[in-house]
Amino acid sequence: MSTKEPTEADILRPINTLTKKYFILYGAATLGLVAFLVAWAYQLQQGLIVTGLGDWGSGGGSTWGLYIGAFIWWVGVAHGGIILSAAVRLLNMDRYMPVARLAEMTTIGGLSAAGFYILVHMGRPDRMVTSVIGHYHITVNNSPLVWDVTVITAYFVLSATYLGLTLRYDVNRLRDDLPDKFEPVYKILTIGYSKKEDKVIDRMVWWLAAAVIIMAPLLLHGGVIPWLFALLPAMPGWTGAIQGPMFLSIALMSAISGIMIISYAFRRAYDWDHIITDDIFRGLLLWLGFFTLLFLWFQLQTIINGVFLGPTNKAVAIEAKIGHPVYQVAMTMIFGTLVYIFLQGIRPALFSKKRALLASCIILAGTLTEKILFVVEGFLHPTFDIYANTPGTYFPSLIEWLSLVGTTALVALLFLNLSKLVPVVELHAVEHLRGDHAHDDDATEPEVEA
Amino acid sequence: MSTDDESFHPLGDEWEGELETMLDDTEYDSQLGMDMARDAMRVTKGELSEADFHEKYHEDVMEEFGEDERPTKEAYEAAQEEAKGTFSRMVDKFDGDGEETRRETMKKMGVGATAVGLGAFGTVSDGPEHSVAEGPRQETTEESDTQWGMTIDLERCDGCLSCMTACSEENDLDQGVNWMYVMAWEDDNHHGQEGSEYDVYTDFNMGSDFNMLVRPCQHCTDAPCEKVCPTTARHTRDKDGLVLTDYDVCIGCRYCQVACPYGVNYFQWDEPDTAYEDIDGLEDPDNPDQITHAEYDHGERWVDSRAPRGTMSKCTMCPSMQDGKQGEGKVGTTACESACPPNAIQFGNVKDEKSDPSQHREHPVKSRAIVHLTNGTESSKSAPSADDIDSALSEGDDLLTAIDNIEGLTVDILAVMKSIEMISEGLEPGDDENNSILRNEQEILSAVEAFQQYVDLNTEEAYTELGLGDGSEQQARFRLEQYTGDPSSFQLLEDIGTNPNITYLGQQPGPEAHQVDGPTAYEDVDLLDERQEDLDEGTVGRIDGVSL
Repeated sequence: MSTKEPTEADILRPINTLTKKYFILYGAATLGLVAFLVAWAYQLQQGLIVTGLGDWGSGGGSTWGLYIGAFIWWVGVAHGGIILSAAVRLLNMDRYMPVARLAEMTTIGGLSAAGFYILVHMGRPDRMVTSVIGHYHITVNNSPLVWDVTVITAYFVLSATYLGLTLRYDVNRLRDDLPDKFEPVYKILTIGYSKKEDKVIDRMVWWLAAAVIIMAPLLLHGGVIPWLFALLPAMPGWTGAIQGPMFLSIALMSAISGIMIISYAFRRAYDWDHIITDDIFRGLLLWLGFFTLLFLWFQLQTIINGVFLGPTNKAVAIEAKIGHPVYQVAMTMIFGTLVYIFLQGIRPALFSKKRALLASCIILAGTLTEKILFVVEGFLHPTFDIYANTPGTYFPSLIEWLSLVGTTALVALLFLNLSKLVPVVELHAVEHLRGDHAHDDDATEPEVEA
Repeated sequence: MSTDDESFHPLGDEWEGELETMLDDTEYDSQLGMDMARDAMRVTKGELSEADFHEKYHEDVMEEFGEDERPTKEAYEAAQEEAKGTFSRMVDKFDGDGEETRRETMKKMGVGATAVGLGAFGTVSDGPEHSVAEGPRQETTEESDTQWGMTIDLERCDGCLSCMTACSEENDLDQGVNWMYVMAWEDDNHHGQEGSEYDVYTDFNMGSDFNMLVRPCQHCTDAPCEKVCPTTARHTRDKDGLVLTDYDVCIGCRYCQVACPYGVNYFQWDEPDTAYEDIDGLEDPDNPDQITHAEYDHGERWVDSRAPRGTMSKCTMCPSMQDGKQGEGKVGTTACESACPPNAIQFGNVKDEKSDPSQHREHPVKSRAIVHLTNGTESSKSAPSADDIDSALSEGDDLLTAIDNIEGLTVDILAVMKSIEMISEGLEPGDDENNSILRNEQEILSAVEAFQQYVDLNTEEAYTELGLGDGSEQQARFRLEQYTGDPSSFQLLEDIGTNPNITYLGQQPGPEAHQVDGPTAYEDVDLLDERQEDLDEGTVGRIDGVSL
């Protein structure tokens, strides 16, 4: 750990500086988002025919593709983020406190991107309110897609509340050093604040964290999202109980990788070596290794269940999966990263932040590839695969590829904007790093030496 | 849903109270109704056996209603095999005579026992599209007497694709939107042309060497597409069980297409080729609304003909015809059925034993013979009418002379006609819709009767001449089987639990069956098989030949 003492000034630096690099990054992200918005407008004008999608069956296409694959991937990033942040609070993993808020913001960003994908994916997005909400009382009993929308909305509210509550403490303490132009925002954020609430908010946040962790297997990426696919009986590429754990492991892998990349960027931009320490990267990398191991183990379960005396439909689907070059590349990337993580665990000299960054990028690329392929595979090898045109063909169109740029830009913009508004590292974390027990009664989070 | 009140009903105290008031309004004993309802709930929870339930109230029911038509224990066991909910069956039993209105029936049976106990979730809802679980498998609560469906004779299909083109014209579909899809297939056990030594030639299948599969929407009773729909746009029309898409509600998420095991859905990826004003089907109506909007209990919904951009479409089974909007003559028919030259498609109310699909499904051998002998355009053989026989025969003709005297009649045909007469149960056609199989059966029966005015066919000599052995029903059946084959019946993917309303006669494709070129090429009749060819043209930045 660095010998530099973390200060309030450190975490205020993003808010009170404005660099050329920031503008370049902001410009690039805006450009990426606008480019996709234009493409989306064209899609709205022409119809979904501008995508590479089609009808499975006699039509020889794939009903869902990159949009849904990216949707579940973003939801995974988001869910992993909130689980990570909740675990830090609930299990007193104080070591990771400096990145907890980044994880929460990642959740907000991921859910925004996922919500955007729902709209982009639909044939008639204009009917979202009338058709979906208007029949909600009936469809929520049946449709996994409605469960999804419900849960995503619920977690958006939950994460935003969580973030909002913890921000009150910081904004109040640091108010004098925050820019006056955002005064109204800070006023709303800290409305009715009194120091007496700190203790209550700590408890509330603890319970919110408990709720997140308890519901993770059921309502987050271990349940509702995989059920979108796993419950359909006639698509053997999707069906099965393994999808719950599989999705959860992917969510956590993606989220840890995402948070490492974002942390890396902030540390580099604002000289936070002493706040987001090497130790945090080492720890996150080990967790990434752990979830990657789980993921590969679940993949193995799926494959063995299909290819060893599997029922015909399952065997066909799984054989096609393991024979697919894109799957092989994705798994090789992920496995290779796991090997590196283990090796650097045994021989710490192999660790470097750049390598951790690279590992994160590879994992994110691997999980995104796996997700898109997973969605498409279902249509390629259904139980009823008598059609000459099944398996069909699908390759994302330029507009679909651009959506990845657009949503990534959207999340980047969220961070760029938020970092100018509020501290992205908690004041608690700084206080903790200093060994500073300024806030007196911390009943729910007993201090533990990192 | 309350857990702390005293109510036995899952919807709680208030709901229960309402029903009790309803019961009080009837002339029957409310207390008995409520008690039965309470125990009925216990039966659903498995706390009370059906037999005990039956026994417990038998005396009271007899005293109150003078009859006890509730299912006996045996009846219940049979019901279990059908995996049908306990209570819908009880309702059916009480509904027995079919004469009383639903309301009267409910009153009579002590209402509560069924109405309170079971229908609770389903029947109170508004909206015609409602479908919520009541039993373990059968999930549609509203029971109607009508369920449109089909029996499709795959050995009769010669792959001419007339049904596909008729469907496309009737519904003004885009290229590649094949709501009706006909394919030839092969698998290890069923070869096509090359392996024709495996196939049995029957006169009935006109010697076709192809294994066919005709795939409209299956209009499943437990339709997965409907269950997953986030909007209720995909729904089952209560009055006749058609599974339809409300084009005004659909958001185009395509989850129905994802969940359908059969691949019958076609999305409208861009602006349809036929503008709304130009939708004319086969009819040329004054206003397209007449054929695009179908009737519901509460107004009309846009569910028929091609879909507008951004929504999902699939085979509708022609609701505009079923609603009588295309004339009374088309009620109980579909465009594909009417267009099928050999009558391989039998459409009708599958719940009515007199309907064509029921007759064809339940009596395939006899029905095939009837279809074959009365299907004038496609059959090499046809049965003479009673009038033809009367004008051609005279007293004292012997059998062979009589056959010779009637144009087109052969020993074979007469034997088949006689066999039909011998095994016929004499069921007469109803008036509801076109029960063509039963009606044609009647014609054959009167022809045989007319023939027998001149020549007695019930003699040993005649039996021998016609190849009917000892003239027993079994021999008649055997004679028909020789003529038409004895097909097995199946439904597609029966183990998926969709309860489809299409029944097939003929060879079931195995799990490894694959489509092969059929007798008629799609492009020869201006149909597009692989729609992706068309859709790819609209893809922005498409790279040829690259695919996941």
